[in-house]
Amino acid sequence: MSYTLRGRLESRLAALVLPVLVAAAIHEWWTIELAGLMAAVGLALDLTYHRPLAYQPGWAAVPIGLLELGIVTALMYALDIRAPLTWAIVFYTGAWLWTQLLAHALLPLWRMSWAEDGGELGVRATSVAAALLTLPFAGAGGVYWHSLPPLVRLGAGVHQGPIYIDRRERLVGQAGAVVRGGIVVRHRDVTISNVRVIGGEYGISVLGVRNVTLDHVTVERARLDGIHTRHSSVAIHHCKVDMRGIALGQGIDISYGLIQGTSVVDHCTVVGGRDGIVMHGSMGMLMHNDVSGTAMTGISMVEMSMGEVSHNTVTSALGIGILCGDHSMCELEHNTVTETRRDDMTGNKMRAGIALEVEFESEATVAHNRLFANPRALALFLGGFVDWH
Amino acid sequence: MPRAAIVGGGLCGFAAYLTLRRAGVEDVTVFSPESDPAAAFRRRASAIRQTHMRSESDGHCLPTSFPGLAVREALGRRTPAPLVASVCDRYHPTVETFLVHVDELRASSGWAPVATRIERIAAANGGFELDGHGVFEHVLVATGHPGLSVPDELRDDPRAVHAYEPHDYAETVCVVGAGLAAATEWRNALAAGARVTSVRRREPTHRPLNVPRPYLSKRGLARFHRLDADVRAATLHDLLGPSYPREAHVEVPVERRVNRADQVICATGFLQGFRHDRLLARLVDEHRPATVNGWIELGPDATVPTLTDATRTLALGGVAAQWAYPAADTLMGARYVAHSFARRCRTR
Repeated sequence: MSYTLRGRLESRLAALVLPVLVAAAIHEWWTIELAGLMAAVGLALDLTYHRPLAYQPGWAAVPIGLLELGIVTALMYALDIRAPLTWAIVFYTGAWLWTQLLAHALLPLWRMSWAEDGGELGVRATSVAAALLTLPFAGAGGVYWHSLPPLVRLGAGVHQGPIYIDRRERLVGQAGAVVRGGIVVRHRDVTISNVRVIGGEYGISVLGVRNVTLDHVTVERARLDGIHTRHSSVAIHHCKVDMRGIALGQGIDISYGLIQGTSVVDHCTVVGGRDGIVMHGSMGMLMHNDVSGTAMTGISMVEMSMGEVSHNTVTSALGIGILCGDHSMCELEHNTVTETRRDDMTGNKMRAGIALEVEFESEATVAHNRLFANPRALALFLGGFVDWH
Repeated sequence: MPRAAIVGGGLCGFAAYLTLRRAGVEDVTVFSPESDPAAAFRRRASAIRQTHMRSESDGHCLPTSFPGLAVREALGRRTPAPLVASVCDRYHPTVETFLVHVDELRASSGWAPVATRIERIAAANGGFELDGHGVFEHVLVATGHPGLSVPDELRDDPRAVHAYEPHDYAETVCVVGAGLAAATEWRNALAAGARVTSVRRREPTHRPLNVPRPYLSKRGLARFHRLDADVRAATLHDLLGPSYPREAHVEVPVERRVNRADQVICATGFLQGFRHDRLLARLVDEHRPATVNGWIELGPDATVPTLTDATRTLALGGVAAQWAYPAADTLMGARYVAHSFARRCRTR
C-alpha cells in the first residue's frame, strides 16, 4: 500500500475509533489515557513514516506495530499512566489486530477506491471518525476538569493566617506569597504549592485526611513542627523547612497515618529541630532529602512504621543519623550519613553518634549506604535486626 | 437513472461492469463481439505458456481489492500460506486460478454483452450515440490492445512468430524483446531444449509489477498528473519500457541483431497509440480531443476532458487510459478506471 500522508492520517483516525470507544466503555482512566497516548504516538509517527515509506508492504505492519508498542509503553511509564502492563499490551494488541482487519479487509470493502486513494477516506468519513474520537476524549477531559479541585491563587505579599482549608482546593502561591501564622488542612484532595509559611504553632498541619500534596512549600520559624500531619496521607515534594532555634519541634512529622495509605517525602531540605523527618505508625517513602543539624535524630521511622528511607543525606545529627525503631520495618538504602555527633550529655549509649541505628524489635534492610566521619556506623539494640544486601 | 455503456468486453470492460453493478448503476449495456471477457488473455497466456500471474492477490476483476485471490485460495485450500505470501508481496496466483475466478464471476454476474463491435462514437445532446444503439450518457471505451507489434524488418520474415501467437520452439531461437513475455519465452525455449539468444533495444528493468508501486495509488499519481504533457509522455515511455520480476530472469546470450536462428519470436508486445485502434482514431478525427505522441490526453479520472461535462462522460479504459494511470492495462488499472467511471455514473 502506498499511503498518501492524508490517507495515512485518515486511516489511522478510522482505526482508532473502536479502541477509543472501547476504552471509554471500560470506565477506567488508564484505558482512556492509553488510547489517547496510542493516538498521539500513532499520528506523530505517521508524519515520520510518510517520507521513507513510499510503499508499505503488508508485513511491515509487524515491525511498525512493535516499534509503536515500545514507544507507547515507554511513554506510559514516563507519563505515569497507571495501566497494568499485561492489560495494556492486550489492549494495544487488540487495537493493532483491529487496524489490520480494517486496512486489509473492511476499508477496501467499504470504500472501493480506498487502496488507489492512498488510504484517504473522504471528508465526510474522516469528520465522522474525528467526531467519534473526540467525543470520548472530550467527555473524559470534561470529567477530569470537573473533578479538579478549585484553584485559589495566593497573591504576592503577606497573608495573615492561620489559613484553614476545609474543602477540595488547589492553593497556589504567586511569587512572593507568604502566609504568617500557619496553614491547617482539614479536607482531602488539597494541593498547596509555592507558598512560604512563617511562624504558627505548626507551619502546615494536615489532620485526618488523605490525598494532600505539598509542593515547593517553605516553612520557617514554626513554634512546634514545620509540617505536622496526623492520621493523614501526604505527598511532600521539594520543600524547605528551617527549624533552627526550635529545640522541641520536628521538621516534618508524619504520625499515625497507616490507615490512610502511603505518604511520601522527597527532595526536601530540613535544617535544625529535634527530629528532621520523623514517621510514627505510618507507611511511606522518605527519599532524596537533605537533613542537617538535628538535635535528636536526622530521620526516624518508628512505632510500627513501614517504609523506605533511601538516597537521603543526613549531616551533623546529634546522637543518631537514621533510626529504625520500635517494631518498624525499614529499607535503609543509598543514604549518606556523615559527621553524626555523640550525645554525651545524656550518657545514653544508644545516642553515641550512630549513623544507622536499628532498635527494639525492628527489622531493617541495609544496603549501599555511605557512612563516614561518624563515631559509630551501625548499631543494633533491643532485638533490632538487620538484613544485609 | 442514467444509461451507461461499456464498449469492449475484455477484462477491463468486465471489471467496469462488475464495479457499476456494485455501485448500484443498473442500466449498463456492454458491447463486445466476444462473450468471454478472458478470451484474449486466455489466448495470449496459453501462447507464451504462462503459468502464474505477474499481478498479486488483488489482480482480479472484483470491484474491491478485498477479498483478493489469496483469500480465495486460502479458504479453498484451508491454509494461511497464500495470505502470508500476500502480505510479503510474494503471492502470484496461477493463471488457472485467475481464469476459474473470471468464469465464476461471469456466470454469477449476469454478464451478457451485446454481440457487436461498435464502429463509431458520436457526441450527441446529453450523451453519445453508439452506432445505432441509441444515446448513452456515460460511455467507457475499453477496446483493449489494438494489435500485436512486430518490428518492420521481421514483418515478412517466415521465421518470425509473435510470442502471443501459438507456437512451438525450433532448435535455435532468437527472442526479440525484453519484457516479461520475452523472459517467459527464454525460459520456455530453454526448457524445450532450444539454443536461445536475446535481441533487445532497451535493457529490462527488474521490478515486481508493471510500474513502481507508488504509481498504483494517489501518492505517485498525483505527481504524475501534475507533469506537463511532453514530460508525462516521456515518463510514460520510461515507465512502459521492458520489465519483469527478478525471479523471472534467465541468463541468455544477448546479440545486437537478429541472427540466423531457425525461429524468431517477437516478444515485442502490442501496437501503441490511438491511431492503431479504429474506433479511437475515428473518435479523434471527428471530435478532436487533445493528443500527445499517440496518446489521447485524459483527465486524472481517465475521462476525455473535451467530451465530458456535467451531463455526460466519455472515459477510456485499458491501455488507452495509461495517460491517466500508467498501469491501466493491468487488472488494478481496470479497477481504477472503473471506480472513477462509476463515481461519475452515480453522481451525475
